[in-house]
Amino acid sequence: MSDNEGSNELSLETRGTKKEKILVAILILVPIIVFSATPLYNFSGPTLFGLTFFYWFQTFWLFVSAIFFLAAAWMLNRMEGETA
Amino acid sequence: MNNYIVLSVFLSLFVLFVGLGFWSSRFRKGDMSDLGEWALAGRRLGFYLAWFLVGADLYTAYTFIAIPELVYEAGAVYFYAVPYVGMTFGIALITMPRLWKISKGKNYVTAVDMVQDKFNSRTLALLIALTGIVAELPYIALQIYGMQAVLTVMIGQLVTADVATITEVALIISFIILAAFTYTSGLRGATITALMKDAIIFTTIIVVIVVVTVEVGGFGSALSDMGTKATGTGTLSNLYVSAFISLSVMSALALYLYPHAINGVLSTNSPKKLRYSTALLPLYGVGLALLALFGVLIYASPSALALAGKYGAVTAVPSLIYAELPDWFVGFAFLGIFIGGLVPASIMAISQANLLTRNVIKPFRPNMDPKTETRLAKYFSIVFKFIALGFIFLISANYSLQLQLVGGVIILQTLPSIFLAMYTKKLHKWSLGIGWAFGIILGITMLLYRNFIQLHLSTVTTTFYLFISQANSPFYFLYIGVYALLLNLLIAVVGSLIEEMIAGRKAHRGEQSQLKA
Repeated sequence: MSDNEGSNELSLETRGTKKEKILVAILILVPIIVFSATPLYNFSGPTLFGLTFFYWFQTFWLFVSAIFFLAAAWMLNRMEGETA
Repeated sequence: MNNYIVLSVFLSLFVLFVGLGFWSSRFRKGDMSDLGEWALAGRRLGFYLAWFLVGADLYTAYTFIAIPELVYEAGAVYFYAVPYVGMTFGIALITMPRLWKISKGKNYVTAVDMVQDKFNSRTLALLIALTGIVAELPYIALQIYGMQAVLTVMIGQLVTADVATITEVALIISFIILAAFTYTSGLRGATITALMKDAIIFTTIIVVIVVVTVEVGGFGSALSDMGTKATGTGTLSNLYVSAFISLSVMSALALYLYPHAINGVLSTNSPKKLRYSTALLPLYGVGLALLALFGVLIYASPSALALAGKYGAVTAVPSLIYAELPDWFVGFAFLGIFIGGLVPASIMAISQANLLTRNVIKPFRPNMDPKTETRLAKYFSIVFKFIALGFIFLISANYSLQLQLVGGVIILQTLPSIFLAMYTKKLHKWSLGIGWAFGIILGITMLLYRNFIQLHLSTVTTTFYLFISQANSPFYFLYIGVYALLLNLLIAVVGSLIEEMIAGRKAHRGEQSQLKA
């Protein structure tokens, strides 16, 4: 994500393999893409506690994105090692 | 309902709140005449406090009052706040630890410090600083609207005459108290009181959702009582899909450009903890989603509808609480909403004051000593609060949220200079400055044109622009921030390429003349 050649500040490079970086990117991007793809969830059914799918699906995805982001944060922190 | 019980619970908790605010200056004591101590709590906030502090930026009157107000009044499109908070923390996870590290390495206290240093341009830094300060004002004003809404219901139920005057006096008194403890406790005060505020609010949300949904038998009946709203009731009307997406994506990009959000980020003690607390912040959004649904739930409560009809849509949440819960709990919940506006207002004013002294005044008086700098910042934090308060008494907005959305159009114009500049060295100062200017001009022009000329309105009521008035076109309604940011980005990128070319040619010529010599 943040590997930028020749940055002069504190070590800004994230170490880690290409695979790990791609995984982090996926973990962060999936919730963002799902949330911005409104036509995917703009339906009334199935309902939950009387709420239409539109409302509860988005609320539910907040939990899912917290899990995705947490995984991404954990990986980024591990890749960064002791430097920070 | 005993309104005196409501008032006395409210007042006693308010006294507790104020005590906590003053006491917090002793929390992890630091030298309060140092700006880093006062405005960034000494950069020592760990995982929990950072979570609460940044959460406090999110859990504001925006969440308690403005979003539910518009869901209640206009329908589904204003649920955009939920995908917005879902996305914004993903963006923050990418950008903010990087900003933290850059800032720590070079001892920056604001994002503008970075802009100044990277581009070595006083003008660009000044523009970005002023943009932050200005964009923050309507956000503070929104907080005051929220506080006013609570007071209106509470005082309106207590007395029969002079409700507006008593409310204004109460607001002024609470702002004086707030100013005093912001002055003494700085960001520490805001963080510690944020804990109290969030504890009250979380309890309130859960209690209201459980009690009211059980009483009315689920959301189903509320949704059907809601009838047909222009932007959709159970689902989003097709005409508003583009509006929904553009509002949520742009708000997600905007949040971490606000000085108060960056201030919160820079006050944490490590980028690793910052990552974890950011990753968990969407959970705060669940509360926001439930509060937005209060705007639906209110339709199941005839007495709440009557109250909101009497005191205005802005009181949708306080009305629902008042109508459905026992008096002592109403006092408790009202205080939560009230300080839910006060605490963020304090955080925002601190970040404005910080920017003003460091990035606007200091460049002109480089010899100012740190003590004077801090004292000045403290004074300005008071000034900004009262400017925002004056704003409220002078300008009336139809919907409290629209002010914040206007602020959003403005703050988005700092995106190229702050976010993009962290990742690339290819942007140049002139293009960034010109892009900023055109973005601001286009945004403001479109806002004025749409509201006052095209729709003949007397206040800012919409931040959507409609280019192609053909239904099902993806550009039916779009948030004006989109147009302004795109123009800004286009100029910044194309202009930087041109600047690069000119610089390259100059360098080339320089080499040639050196060779000749």
